[in-house]
Amino acid sequence: MRFEGTLDIAAPRDRVWSFLTDPKQVTTCAPDVQSLDVTDPRHFKVVVRAGVGPIKGTFTMNVEFTELVDQGHATVVARGQAPGSAVELRSTMDLSALDGTRTTMKWASDVTVSGMIQQVGARLMQGAADKITQQVFSCIKAKLEAPVTA
Amino acid sequence: MAVEIGGIGQSVKRKEDARFIRGKGKYVDDVKLPGMLYMDIARSPLAHARIRKIDTSKALAIPGVVAVITGKDLVPLNLHWMPTLMSDKQMVLPTDTVLYQAQEVAAVVATERYIAADGVDAIEVDYEPLPVVVDPIKALQPGATLVREDREQKDNHIWHWEVGDRAGTDRAFADADVVVKQDLYIPRIHVSSIETCGIVASFDKVEGKLTVWMTTQAPHAIRTVIALVAGHLGLAEHKIRVISPDIGGGFGGKVPVYPGYVLAIGASVLTGVPVKWIEDRAENIQADSFARDYHISAELASKKDGTMQALRVKTIADHGAFDAAANPSKYPAGLFHIITGSYPFEKSFVEVDGAYTNKPPGGIAYRCSFRVTEAAFTIERLVDVLALKLGRDPAELRMQNFIPPTAFPYTSSLGWEYDSGDYGRALRLAMDTIGYADLRKEQAEKRKRGELMGIGISSFTEIVGAGPSKNFDILGIKMFDSAEIRVHPTGKVMVRLGVKSQGQGHETTFGQIVAEELGIPVADIAVEEGDTDTAPYGLGTYASRSTPVAGGATAIAARKIREKAKLIAAHLLEANPDDIEWKDYKFQVKGVPSKSKTMQEVAFAAYTNHPQGMEAGLEAVDYYDPPNLTYPFGSYICVVDLDRGTGEVKIRRFVAVDDCGTIINPMIVEGQIHGGLTMGLAPALYEQINYDEQGNIQGGTFMDYLLPTAMETPNWETAKTTTPSPHHPIGAKGVGESATVGAPAAIANAVVDALAHLGVRHIDIPITPWKVQKILKENGVAE
Repeated sequence: MRFEGTLDIAAPRDRVWSFLTDPKQVTTCAPDVQSLDVTDPRHFKVVVRAGVGPIKGTFTMNVEFTELVDQGHATVVARGQAPGSAVELRSTMDLSALDGTRTTMKWASDVTVSGMIQQVGARLMQGAADKITQQVFSCIKAKLEAPVTA
Repeated sequence: MAVEIGGIGQSVKRKEDARFIRGKGKYVDDVKLPGMLYMDIARSPLAHARIRKIDTSKALAIPGVVAVITGKDLVPLNLHWMPTLMSDKQMVLPTDTVLYQAQEVAAVVATERYIAADGVDAIEVDYEPLPVVVDPIKALQPGATLVREDREQKDNHIWHWEVGDRAGTDRAFADADVVVKQDLYIPRIHVSSIETCGIVASFDKVEGKLTVWMTTQAPHAIRTVIALVAGHLGLAEHKIRVISPDIGGGFGGKVPVYPGYVLAIGASVLTGVPVKWIEDRAENIQADSFARDYHISAELASKKDGTMQALRVKTIADHGAFDAAANPSKYPAGLFHIITGSYPFEKSFVEVDGAYTNKPPGGIAYRCSFRVTEAAFTIERLVDVLALKLGRDPAELRMQNFIPPTAFPYTSSLGWEYDSGDYGRALRLAMDTIGYADLRKEQAEKRKRGELMGIGISSFTEIVGAGPSKNFDILGIKMFDSAEIRVHPTGKVMVRLGVKSQGQGHETTFGQIVAEELGIPVADIAVEEGDTDTAPYGLGTYASRSTPVAGGATAIAARKIREKAKLIAAHLLEANPDDIEWKDYKFQVKGVPSKSKTMQEVAFAAYTNHPQGMEAGLEAVDYYDPPNLTYPFGSYICVVDLDRGTGEVKIRRFVAVDDCGTIINPMIVEGQIHGGLTMGLAPALYEQINYDEQGNIQGGTFMDYLLPTAMETPNWETAKTTTPSPHHPIGAKGVGESATVGAPAAIANAVVDALAHLGVRHIDIPITPWKVQKILKENGVAE
């Protein structure tokens, strides 16, 4: 399944970039994070609870920033498993500054889900993914657009 | 008199229904033993992956979890692989690689069923995904992802099998006036019995005896398999008792040995505590043996006048990751070479190649005698393709070509000797019953108005009752079957059989055979099956073999009893045995009906007043090795109306004429046919298990796998002809599977017939509304 979209954020590009590429910061907007274990700046392991409808699971996700280019382009591969289900995400993100205070993020994700969640939840997947995406992005916007506090 | 006895031909009410309709049946899940533990299984979410690590620590930390078993734990016991019923082996639990989605990865044993499930959820497995191959045609191409690294042969080809005269068939095709060719896919489906699979294994460490209650169609074969597989662990066959209690549907799905059975037995042997494993519905559909999955390319050659001459068939069989079908050893594609059907092809040639894919194993005979459904569907579809090509009426073309009744016993060009048949009589009866000529007129008128109506015929021939020991064995065990009859002093009878009913009504029908042979009322006859400690050895119930094989054993055992009883009767009547005749269910002195003894009187004497010098008692055993298979047949006609808006196929009428030889219980036969027709409707219009490119099952629950219910099932009309089998002791042929085999082609032919004027020649089953609507749209006739 492929998901893609564009998001305008009222924050400068360098700030958006540093937020989205910092495992500690970006995971504050991931759904229901149970734990985070940063191996190095490019690799981290995050445990999240997610699901589709009544089918929920605790996913242990191994995440790798496979490309980080010029504060503008990043690719991420995340692979994870929950009991009876497996998921793989390959995402790209491109940031461009609209002006000194606003940034546009173009993003796309290819998601492969296997196992129980795929079997039982396939027809609910799109809705669930849209909902999670919306939550994540409104969180990102809220955090980045908030006044900077020292 | 006959009605009181309840002998052959009587619609005796099913004795087993007294407990079934009261909810008093006893199934595996009803077995509860003191201290029993419960097992649940962790399964792979991926269709092909390397297992990097299995972390069981969190599962083991859950209070109530007793043990977690992984493949590595089974290696020292040499139980991580097991043989399949074909010449292949199958993982019990993987040590490093999983080969299909829902494959067993680890087992959790706990004090409660729910704790076991929590334990399964707590197991952490680190998988490294591997490339997946789900299409058997791609799997056979060079460079395809290798499914079975454990084999020496480094490709996905399992076996090649062929039968017939290749060169002669090719010549016949080269010389033929007319050749038609059709590719067909017979999709993967699942038996979906109401009761899923399960086991209670109980090992007594003091006695060294293992008792298992399990959902198996073949308890004796299972006992032998356990002894062969686990002999090195000290399990000997005299200390293994397999009990197959009431079974809620088998349909072939309960013939194989599943890893869960082995794990539960292993867990009980190691702990000395009873262990229960009952799979849930999703596990049953996703991991248990599937059926069909044949990619067929079939060609038929005929003369201009429609005389069929030659048949050539090439098939790729998708067997999943392990060849765990349950075919007789000699026939890796089962009895697929009954594909010449009801027609006397001079030349024919069939070849089948088995392929491994990243899908669950199987290829089981889903309510059909080993690939007979695939064969019947192909030939009956192909005959309609020929009829369209020649512009002939499909009924007339069949009538022209049928093997004539005078030709029996008839040996087909692929080597089967058909015992008896009168195919024209069955088709004529079906045509008369449904009013064929009027329906064709109606169809022509409707077509003018743009209405879509179709009439489909299937005149199938089955091959059942495996089988003669010269050709048929499973794991080397010959496919005879057995009956043991004991007549008690008061004239009541205990019959024990090597087969095992899963709903077929054996307690009634086998009682009726004995009632007929011994003149003892069926109410006084108990039939017992499924306990290997008491029943004589047999190969079990599948492939419509119970009546042809165990039915033969029952009749012959009863006749052995009657022979002895006659001597006792002569003794009681003070007559020469040569002067005694069996008449009206009694022994009579010839010509003196007033001088007679009933079987009950004889039975009492057998224990109280038997002739000196004769063994006391009245019992007999027979192990029946049939001289040939039996060949039930039938003609089905289906009338459909298509909804031009939704593409829905509506079955308006369906007439099924069956001929299964001598009928033991007409009511049970009719019930078998009704059930079989519904299971034939299922793949024709609804059921299919698909996989996506990653090997994710697309029909893994009843949300996606559409089992027909009373809502979808039309009103079946049944009729019969009777052509007894000349070689069977009571002339019976078996009927459990005829309708499943015969129905799909009748329905598919009807739908194609409704669309034939648009140029449609074939639609692969299941014929869903989506497929029909697409055709309607492409031809501009959708509403």
